[in-house]
Amino acid sequence: MSTLPFDPLLVAIFAPLAVALAIACGLPKRFSVKLAYVGFGLPLLLALHVWFYYGTAAQTHGYAFLTSYSTGLDNLGIGLKLGLNGISLPLFVLAGIVGFAAGLYAIQSGAERLKIYLMLLLVMQGGLMGVFASVDIFFFYFFHELALIPTFIMVGIWGGRDRNYAAMKLTIYLTLGAMLSLIGLIALYVKSGAHSFDLIELRRVIAAQPLEATVQHNIFGLLALGFGILVSIWPLHTWAPLGYGAAPSSAAMLHAGVLKKFGLYGLIQIALPLLPAGLIHWSHPLAWLAVVGNVLVIGFVTIAQRDLKQMVGYSSVMHMGYAFLGIAAGSTLGVGGVVLLMVAHGLSVALMFLLTTSVYQRTHTFALDEMGGLAQKAPVLSALFVAATFAGIGLPGFANFWGELTIFVALWKFSPLITILAVAGVVISAVYGLRAAARVFFGPATPEFAKIAAEHPVSDLRWSERLPALILLAALMFIGFWPKSLSTALDATLSPAPAAQVGAVK
Amino acid sequence: MTMLQHALLVLLLPLASAAVIALFLRRSGGIASILSTATAAAIAGFALLLALNNDRFSASFEWLRLGNFALSIGFKFDDLAALMLVIVGIVGLCVHVFSLGYMHEDAAKARYFGGLSIFMFSMLGIVFADNLFMMFIFWELVGFSSYLLINHWHENAAPAAASKKAFIANRVGDFGFLLGIVMCYWANGTVNFTELATKADTHALVISTAIPLLLFCGAVGKSAQLPLQVWLPDAMEGPTPVSALIHAATMVAAGIYMLCRINVLMVPDALTVIMWTGAATALYAALCAIVQSDIKKVLAYSTLSQLGYMVAAFGLGSLTVSHAHGADTHTIVLAAGVGAAMFHLTTHAFFKALMFLGSGSVIHGCHHEQNIFRMGGLAKKMPFTFVTFTLGVAAIIGFPFLAGFFSKDAILYLAFANNKAVFAVLALTAVLTSLYMVRLWKITFLGAPRSDAASHAHEGGLTLTAPLLVLAVLTVVGGYTGIYPDVFSGVFDLIPEAHGSDHTVILLTSLAVTVLGAGAALALYGSTATDSLQQKSPGLFGALTGLQFSFDRGYEYYVAKVQQRFALFLNFLEQIFLAGLIVRGLAGIVGLVGLGARALHVGRLNVYVYWFLLGIVILWIYATFNF
Repeated sequence: MSTLPFDPLLVAIFAPLAVALAIACGLPKRFSVKLAYVGFGLPLLLALHVWFYYGTAAQTHGYAFLTSYSTGLDNLGIGLKLGLNGISLPLFVLAGIVGFAAGLYAIQSGAERLKIYLMLLLVMQGGLMGVFASVDIFFFYFFHELALIPTFIMVGIWGGRDRNYAAMKLTIYLTLGAMLSLIGLIALYVKSGAHSFDLIELRRVIAAQPLEATVQHNIFGLLALGFGILVSIWPLHTWAPLGYGAAPSSAAMLHAGVLKKFGLYGLIQIALPLLPAGLIHWSHPLAWLAVVGNVLVIGFVTIAQRDLKQMVGYSSVMHMGYAFLGIAAGSTLGVGGVVLLMVAHGLSVALMFLLTTSVYQRTHTFALDEMGGLAQKAPVLSALFVAATFAGIGLPGFANFWGELTIFVALWKFSPLITILAVAGVVISAVYGLRAAARVFFGPATPEFAKIAAEHPVSDLRWSERLPALILLAALMFIGFWPKSLSTALDATLSPAPAAQVGAVK
Repeated sequence: MTMLQHALLVLLLPLASAAVIALFLRRSGGIASILSTATAAAIAGFALLLALNNDRFSASFEWLRLGNFALSIGFKFDDLAALMLVIVGIVGLCVHVFSLGYMHEDAAKARYFGGLSIFMFSMLGIVFADNLFMMFIFWELVGFSSYLLINHWHENAAPAAASKKAFIANRVGDFGFLLGIVMCYWANGTVNFTELATKADTHALVISTAIPLLLFCGAVGKSAQLPLQVWLPDAMEGPTPVSALIHAATMVAAGIYMLCRINVLMVPDALTVIMWTGAATALYAALCAIVQSDIKKVLAYSTLSQLGYMVAAFGLGSLTVSHAHGADTHTIVLAAGVGAAMFHLTTHAFFKALMFLGSGSVIHGCHHEQNIFRMGGLAKKMPFTFVTFTLGVAAIIGFPFLAGFFSKDAILYLAFANNKAVFAVLALTAVLTSLYMVRLWKITFLGAPRSDAASHAHEGGLTLTAPLLVLAVLTVVGGYTGIYPDVFSGVFDLIPEAHGSDHTVILLTSLAVTVLGAGAALALYGSTATDSLQQKSPGLFGALTGLQFSFDRGYEYYVAKVQQRFALFLNFLEQIFLAGLIVRGLAGIVGLVGLGARALHVGRLNVYVYWFLLGIVILWIYATFNF
């Protein structure tokens, strides 16, 4: 049992925010950087702590570490209620790990105006910890916005090519997605009659008196669309490759790795248990959109990319298709698979964005046709990149495999035809993943790269870059070798199935 | 320690070795090679201990549970697994020792030996697996280690391309394999081999043609059967010991091992498909082998052909055997396909590993010359390699009393008894096998040296010759099932044996094809620097070369002209239509009119959002009324 004298969740949220505030108040740069280590480190340590003690912690209403703080908005049913269940625990841990890695990478990046950069990242980090620790829907949403706004600013200021256009597009899409889901959440609040944003209370009220089918259909649709935009469902995904292409690496790591999962998390934690009829109503269109749009169409579009960072961005969109498929399947297995995939994808895509930036610093280009032979000069970078590639294409031994496998098994029960189309994706991802790895690292150097390498001597990965990459890789392999570290808690929370009435049996 | 703990140790040792090498020994190739080889020796020792001990066991540990779905990691150690374990252990050790010499001067020795350890781990996982999900996991991992090892000399373009091709071709097969596993899981409620067999005994198994055929897709990829065979010849870009271990003796045989594991799921229609796939592969690859000039490519096509033999043997299925006991005659149905396939897998592992390592010895001796027309006269320069290689050649062409003779006859007999057409194809393949192997042997070893490299060829050290000796002994004695301890009887009792007149027919056929092929090769090929067939019959030579490249050309056409164009087309739509038009506020019409789309919208955020919302509302209304 956890014996900390303070609430680990609250500290994990407010430590980075406090550091950000201190930096904003004019802390000198030396101290800022040192304190930033604390701001990123503390959430990681606390996340690992709650992960370790989750199994033995006392559970209230299915939540461990449950605490409540008054906000003065109690008459609106809003209170800062923190706690973790089997669904939020893996994502809380994910946020801790990716946040720390992104923080380390940012500190060594030597970005201009580093203090402000770190401050924004810390705000993002605090928001992310809050999203997954909140049991109250209001704060769940609030923390998301808190994390989202720094993303826009970071893309706008520290972004690469097309950063103004990308920042604007990102803002419009993500704000729109967030608005639509907010409307859905408010509708849920109003229609449930619970007069509370507290998820535990909402569940209790709705279990006693389920919403009528039409209401469920409409609210679920609204949430699926709003959250869907945030998770880049086809064809509303185009912000993602563009935005990630322009975003500075640490922001891309945190957004693609963690913040993007907000939408899926919302669907699983809120929509599935509260609106089971809505899922039945929408599951087939959702699954078809995901399999044809995200998996197949975007899969082929990814093959066509000639820019490494765009390729990573598109492959991330493709993998979100699997997540939607697991949700459509609706069973414990399918939804559990989605959570595993969310964690795995978060770690691997963060690793990929990190390594892509490290590649760029050596090749001075993202164009795949102008690279080649980097493995001879940077063997460690190449080994890590190949490992990340294989994680991304679902090799056993990495966490991603468990997510994909369980989703495929669950999906067959939902629709064999969709499963066949979805599994075809594993060939597609092998094609683009291995092609990119070969273009960047293997074979002889292209003349373009030979020229660049002559001008700027290429060194292997420095330890300051290596460390965050190794943390992410270690987490991927730990879950890959020991999936029970997450699945036991998940299973306990998800059984009986979140949408037990659905069962997705046809 | 219990036997189960031994098995666990055998499985985890190579993983530990690989982890230690990856983490600590990256720059210490020498220590890494010793660690990896010591691990291989321990595996071989424990493998023999486990196999010879009569204790057969199974155990299973839950690895993941979500709802009703549980995935276990387990051990099913029966005679079949014991036999496979011994093969992997012995050949693995031989290849490790050989690599000590062969890769001695390689700059990335640590990576190489680490890769070998990962491979051993993955392969042992397949051998021990007690359920299809676990097998699939290690199945993917052998694919990965194969990728890693083919790509060892990654600074060259060819290994980089070959490794990618190997992994993707395997993935195509695994696409079907995974679907088959999932389908089997939902149909039968289990993918555990023992539980499936129990269900089959009680007639509770779901009869389906789709399940075994989908699972067979996995074997088509891994065992390089038509039409996914294209990756194996290219995989010869990897170091030669890797070719011996992975691409001849063990990994590519995993497909056959897997088929034997799921024998209870087989139905006649599926077996027919499997049989013809194997027979076609056997013949196709034998034809290709005739026109190769690279010593490793000949062996690669020969491996393909022999794998086809094994797959065909499995597909020929069971045999009804009558036993006379005095006045009573009782008939039993023998799983002869399993017996014949596994028997040939065993002998092939020995003699093909022997020949691959022999070719490695030749390549090493000739300073990395692989073209047989630039060799010649090596019999005098490398007598030990010559003698052992000759034994390998004699075994594969079915020379009497060597290993291949017995196992090939078992397959030919099974074909003779069950399907005469397949028998004819396999007999023809045997003629061709004899032809191309004797051709290789004669051009490489006899006559006079045809290059500087060949005239200065020399035998390697003890690390190169000792493995050859071990494998040569096994090649000589490996066909006598009597020498195997009883512990493998679960497999060897299934080998079909011809009696009476059948026996005579098979024996005569077998001898005839060997003599015919070998005689033709001796007569046709001289010790020349060019291919005699190409000289005498350019048409035939060209046709065979065309046949060899036909699949590659087809796939290249598909990748470049179909897949890539389709991808570019979708990407075009994505960029223009989605990113350009719809996304700019679903204002497709406005965008079309304006065409200078980007300039139009930047800075007019409000209009943009309104259009977008309007589009959403329209979609919304459409969706609400249509679903």
